[in-house]
Amino acid sequence: MSESSIDTIHKEQAYSARVVREVLSSLGARLGLVWIVLMIICAVFAPLISNTHPYLMIVAGEFSSPFLKYLTWIDVALLCSFLGAIIIWFGLKSIEGWKRLLLMVLVSLLMSILSAWSVSSPRAVIYDQYRMGLESGKIQSAYFAPIPYSPTDRSRDNPAPLQPPGAKHLLGTDEDGADVLSRMIHGSRIALGIGLVATFTSLFLGILYGGVMGFYSGWIDILMMRFLEIFESIPSLFLILTVVAFFGRNIYLIMLIIGLTGWPGYARFLRAEFLKLRQQDFVQAAEASGLPLSSILFRHMLPNGIAPLLVLSSFGMASAILVEATLSFLGLGAIDQPSWAAMLNQAVGPGGSIAIWMATFPGIAIFFTLFAYTLIGEALRDAIDPRLQQQPN
Amino acid sequence: MINYIVRRLVLMFPTLIGITLMVFSIMALAPGGVGASLLTRGGDLRPEERAAMEAYINERYGLDKPLPQQYLRWLNNVSPLGFEKVDEGEERFGFKVPDLGMSFAKNRSVTELISEALPITLLLNLLSVPFIYTFSIIMGVYSARYRGSLLDVGLGTTNLALYSLPVIWVGTLFIVFLSSEEYLNWFPTSGLHSLGSNTWTFLPTSSETGFQRGYLLDTFWHLILPLICLSYSSFAFLSKLARTAVLENLQSDYARTARAKGASEASVLWNHVFRNSLLPLITITAGIIPGLLVGSVVVESIFSIDGMGRLVVDSVMVRDREVVLSITLIISILTLISYLIVDICYAIADPRVSYE
Repeated sequence: MSESSIDTIHKEQAYSARVVREVLSSLGARLGLVWIVLMIICAVFAPLISNTHPYLMIVAGEFSSPFLKYLTWIDVALLCSFLGAIIIWFGLKSIEGWKRLLLMVLVSLLMSILSAWSVSSPRAVIYDQYRMGLESGKIQSAYFAPIPYSPTDRSRDNPAPLQPPGAKHLLGTDEDGADVLSRMIHGSRIALGIGLVATFTSLFLGILYGGVMGFYSGWIDILMMRFLEIFESIPSLFLILTVVAFFGRNIYLIMLIIGLTGWPGYARFLRAEFLKLRQQDFVQAAEASGLPLSSILFRHMLPNGIAPLLVLSSFGMASAILVEATLSFLGLGAIDQPSWAAMLNQAVGPGGSIAIWMATFPGIAIFFTLFAYTLIGEALRDAIDPRLQQQPN
Repeated sequence: MINYIVRRLVLMFPTLIGITLMVFSIMALAPGGVGASLLTRGGDLRPEERAAMEAYINERYGLDKPLPQQYLRWLNNVSPLGFEKVDEGEERFGFKVPDLGMSFAKNRSVTELISEALPITLLLNLLSVPFIYTFSIIMGVYSARYRGSLLDVGLGTTNLALYSLPVIWVGTLFIVFLSSEEYLNWFPTSGLHSLGSNTWTFLPTSSETGFQRGYLLDTFWHLILPLICLSYSSFAFLSKLARTAVLENLQSDYARTARAKGASEASVLWNHVFRNSLLPLITITAGIIPGLLVGSVVVESIFSIDGMGRLVVDSVMVRDREVVLSITLIISILTLISYLIVDICYAIADPRVSYE
């Protein structure tokens, strides 16, 4: 390895370290990150925090753990990926930063596939059995999670729809009698998942499309730009509404369709970057020295053009979450999944009855999440955009 | 200039065809298709009646034809230039009145449905644009003038928070706290007019029976909350834009010249800098109008206003193909025309811009 390439790697690290340092120096971004980390913890450990299934129970002198038995593959995948990610990030410090990130993503994917393939949880769930069992003395003792209600536990043995917050249900119950706090903790999964999956889908498509446009330019660029303009002038919420209404209310479909409609912004940005970069000497030199196209595109141009996309994707996460919230609010969200906005929709009943706790708590959660991503985006932009740095303060 | 406008208008046609084709394919390729929801309504029919109904629906909407033919048929119906049935079996090619078809679910003509809903949505949007601009420009100019002060930082943070506030939450909170009978009950919860307001006089009157607010004031009273919901999230973006523009211009050469000639700081700001700073705000109207049209989907649903947004949600839920397609077409036309108008405005406002 020649000295100059070592030098570039060193500078690149310094650049990303500087960006991270500057983002962390802003109070707003720090608060935003705290909220996101809190959401991640809630999402990963949701079944440990709130669950009707006891961790451990004793029936006729025998120990059993319904908690383990009823873990779904998503629970297992999230827990394993989180553990794997923590180990990789803190255990393998010798590996370069972005390679570690890539490794983390790969390990998470592997964990998800493995657990989807190996874990099967019972389909029929009767939540009342534990309460009934404890009452009748069939279950000698049981150890419950801090919040002993699952998000889909509608307390059929003792239904209590639309209870205001109290000692039993800290944040009240929804119109089906499920615990609001439990649904909110589990709802952070959808919020996080929508943001991540939708944004990465659009980011991937945008990089592909914008990169091709910006690199080839000429008539390919004109043709692809025309298509992009057509796509951009479709009111995307209408398109998403139509797709969801016609193809079924499935959370994965919603994630995907939000991602599939969000790419034009990224493509435009990357195209503009690439058109600028193409004229630069180092790209022309790379081309002249006969490097393969993939090397020019991915090793020389992409790292230089990707920084502004990070800013865009932070705002993109916020808008993806907002779209999902809007869909759920309009009654087109995922069926039977705990979603914050769907709870918000229950605040005003059909007869004009008001359930104020249904309006405040989920609303605050959505607002904090959107605000967190926006603040991080703003801080990232200030750290990355060189034009802003030149301005005297 | 004329050349440019004509080129843009011509380019609108492939764009519109592309958009409607995409929406059409999504609906056609969905499991169950479009006709399924129509047939489920006849659940308790005898088989022959059912067959007759299927045949009737197929004949009426052409659902048994191959998909490309269905789309071309729809395209022919809505375009002002195309084939038209004159007599039985005889067709004429030429200009005709566009026909948006019949709504599957409501059994009324789509033109009628849209002509009821569109004015309401347009009223909401056209009222909110000046509202947004007035507030954003004032905020932007003042935060630029007192740059770095508490006012500037406070306005910036507040606007960022407003931008992140989801409309669905704000609307719900408005209804819960300001409109419901349990709390303040200051504003109406739904609709655009009070019951019986169409018998009132247009302007407010006060007689011996007491004050009557009249039709106009009543409508405004109903519009206040929806307007706020539709507007506040745009403040952040626009006021930041105004702030940057004013700041840039305040540091420019001509502002320095004006100061050197002895103009007061207020005169420099309002007479010299202000008008130049409006340019970027004009261009950005393009981004705002489509956003508002989409935003009215949520606002209209929260406040039960029967505009385009509610019509979209209702028709999408019952798979009403003709209505969804027509609304997509109309909203797209509005979007494209607003882009065009903004580009023209830009050229008029700034002599440096030319499209030749």
